[in-house]
Amino acid sequence: MPILTTRIVRLLSTVWLLGAVASFPLPGEAANIVALKGADVDVYNEALDGFKSVASRAQVSEYDMEGDLQRGKRFLARLKSGPKPDLILAIGIWALQVVVEEIRDIPVVFAMVLNPSTVIGQEARNITGASMNVPIEQQIALLKKASPQVRRIGVIYDPSKTGFLVKQAERIARDQGVRLLPKAIASPKDSFAALDAMQGEIDALWILPDVTVLAPESVQYMLLFSFRNKIPLLGLSENQARMGALFGLSFGSGRDIGIQAGEIANEILSGRRAEEIPFTTARRLRLTVNLKTAGKLGLQVPKEILDRADVVIR
Amino acid sequence: MKVRLRAVLSLPLILLLAGSVRLADAADLKDTIKNLYGGQGILLEPLPLPFPSQESRFQASSLQGLDQLNTQLTSAIGVPSFNSSVGGFLFDIERGVPVQTTESLGPLLTERATTLGARKLDLTFSYTRVNFTKLQGKDLNDLELVFLRGDANGNGIIDTSGPFSFESDVIRATLSVDLTEDIFALIATYGLTAEWDIGIVVPVTHIRLHAKSSLTICDQAARDFLRPQCLDQFGNRGGTKIGDIPIHRFGPNSTPPAVSLSDETAVSGGGDETGLGDIILRTKYNFLRHYDDLIPDMAFLVELKLPTGDEECLLGTGGTNVTGLLVASKTYARWFTPHVNLGYEINTKDTRESAIRYALGFDARLLPELTLAAGIIGRAKPDGTGTGDHIVDLSLGVKWNPIKSLILRTNVQIPLDKNSGLRADFIPTVGIEYLF
Repeated sequence: MPILTTRIVRLLSTVWLLGAVASFPLPGEAANIVALKGADVDVYNEALDGFKSVASRAQVSEYDMEGDLQRGKRFLARLKSGPKPDLILAIGIWALQVVVEEIRDIPVVFAMVLNPSTVIGQEARNITGASMNVPIEQQIALLKKASPQVRRIGVIYDPSKTGFLVKQAERIARDQGVRLLPKAIASPKDSFAALDAMQGEIDALWILPDVTVLAPESVQYMLLFSFRNKIPLLGLSENQARMGALFGLSFGSGRDIGIQAGEIANEILSGRRAEEIPFTTARRLRLTVNLKTAGKLGLQVPKEILDRADVVIR
Repeated sequence: MKVRLRAVLSLPLILLLAGSVRLADAADLKDTIKNLYGGQGILLEPLPLPFPSQESRFQASSLQGLDQLNTQLTSAIGVPSFNSSVGGFLFDIERGVPVQTTESLGPLLTERATTLGARKLDLTFSYTRVNFTKLQGKDLNDLELVFLRGDANGNGIIDTSGPFSFESDVIRATLSVDLTEDIFALIATYGLTAEWDIGIVVPVTHIRLHAKSSLTICDQAARDFLRPQCLDQFGNRGGTKIGDIPIHRFGPNSTPPAVSLSDETAVSGGGDETGLGDIILRTKYNFLRHYDDLIPDMAFLVELKLPTGDEECLLGTGGTNVTGLLVASKTYARWFTPHVNLGYEINTKDTRESAIRYALGFDARLLPELTLAAGIIGRAKPDGTGTGDHIVDLSLGVKWNPIKSLILRTNVQIPLDKNSGLRADFIPTVGIEYLF
């Protein structure tokens, strides 16, 4: 009986090994990757180009959801009924949303997704990828470098959207010797009172990638708050810097994010499991500095920051 | 790769249209009016001996009059405006999501600053019908010309009495001109980068120009057109007579001829042509986008109109035109986009035809799949020749997006001032557009 058990175990092990080997492309065999784009936007196309430049040995077939989640779901239903690809690349939040719902047994790498953990549940072990979030460490470091007076950084956030980011940020801020003063809001109109409550309490203000906070009236009030209180405001984009934020810090380019996703895909195709690979944040960043704002705030932007800036608004 | 393949596949279609040949062989349609009475102008029936010859007395006047009308007509035939839609998505970097830019499907005849987007291909096939009805405010079916006779006795004036009163005879010409254009255009626009579009417009034109003219010899009393039947004070028709013999008359030997000796005749001429029109190459660079809430998106557009259409057949203007246009637009509340275009078009063949071009309009999404576009389109020639020196049109149209990436478009262009240039009552356009 023990001999029979051993044989069965060996047989099962062999089958499992064969299955595992068969599920990955053999050396020299091109991996079959399906790239699902949420919509046809330039940055997604750039990300796909970046991905392909890294995963150059893979055969990548593209599908555009055209912004339609149902269309994406129908495509995935067809995909599941046929031969399975070695990997799915989900570009953008919409593609990731449908893939999270529909795909459990194929490794998935995402790219160009902001706050991916709000979409991917704990149970999804087949998904990892390259987010477009800017590393919190670098955002706090930038505000610190802007002025030695920055000791308290104010931030408003919707706990249901970016509570996880604020938790990380509080820890990172502590590590960097500054204090984060978060104020929770539930709707854009709460932002006025939340900001007013921070008057005199903070040395810098930071805009989070939080849809509640990003309502136009909230962003306008944050800009006003920055000018009135002569404190620097760190925004999420060149656009916000042009609107009056001292800094705009965003991911470098779609291509960079695509390259990061391609590197992750290569690891998975080499046999590493998706769940072993953490989500990445943007490796290269794009910094915009608004010197007109600096003048109004009475702030001298250090040369180190100006040298690093991609865009300087004078 | 997919888009590149589509671009390659669409090339034969462009070439097919570009290579279309003249379907009719009517020579020099451009000179239809000029040659209406024969290439040498009006030549009257010779008088019997011993009267001196009078047949060429209206030649110079008729040649000049017809040539002027011919030029007014043919120089005013141009290529209507074309443009492409703006569709698809832009990326909202702060929220990390694509934002549908088809808040509006774009203007129809004016331009807005936004470009197609990198590697996008927009193909449009349109049909435009232009039925010209007015020239400088005059009805094309009822044009009148008066040809004057030369000074016979050399006294430097046109005698209205005495033995040389026949000098004041005139030939009154009424013309009815049927001038229509059917323009089939293939418009391809490709996004080289997110901010830079290139495009080509390949028009294939069918043009029809038919003219009918009635000529009547009148005496001086009819010169002021108070006597529409060309009757003199005694109720007699025709010009001055010596006895019963009219000094000026048409006959079998005149140009144009009459069946028998008469004070009137009629003639018609013209034809149809079909062929390649003037190809337009265009490029637009969107140098300012989403700068802030106040400053509009801005683009610079350059158009090069090539003389690919046969000028003699009225399929083209025969010159190369270069246009630079500054375009500004801004979308409000994701559905309403006003736009302004201002620029200058240089006509390298005849600088007097160079014109300031302007447009002011908007496009608005009334329903998710339906956009209304309206605008005022103007063209002013600072050194114009007097014909169509300033023309202003109202453009009204809709775009309908029944399924993804497919847009059906219809537009009507209505002249706001029919007293300037060669004008149609309205110019309808229909088209189908697909964004790859």
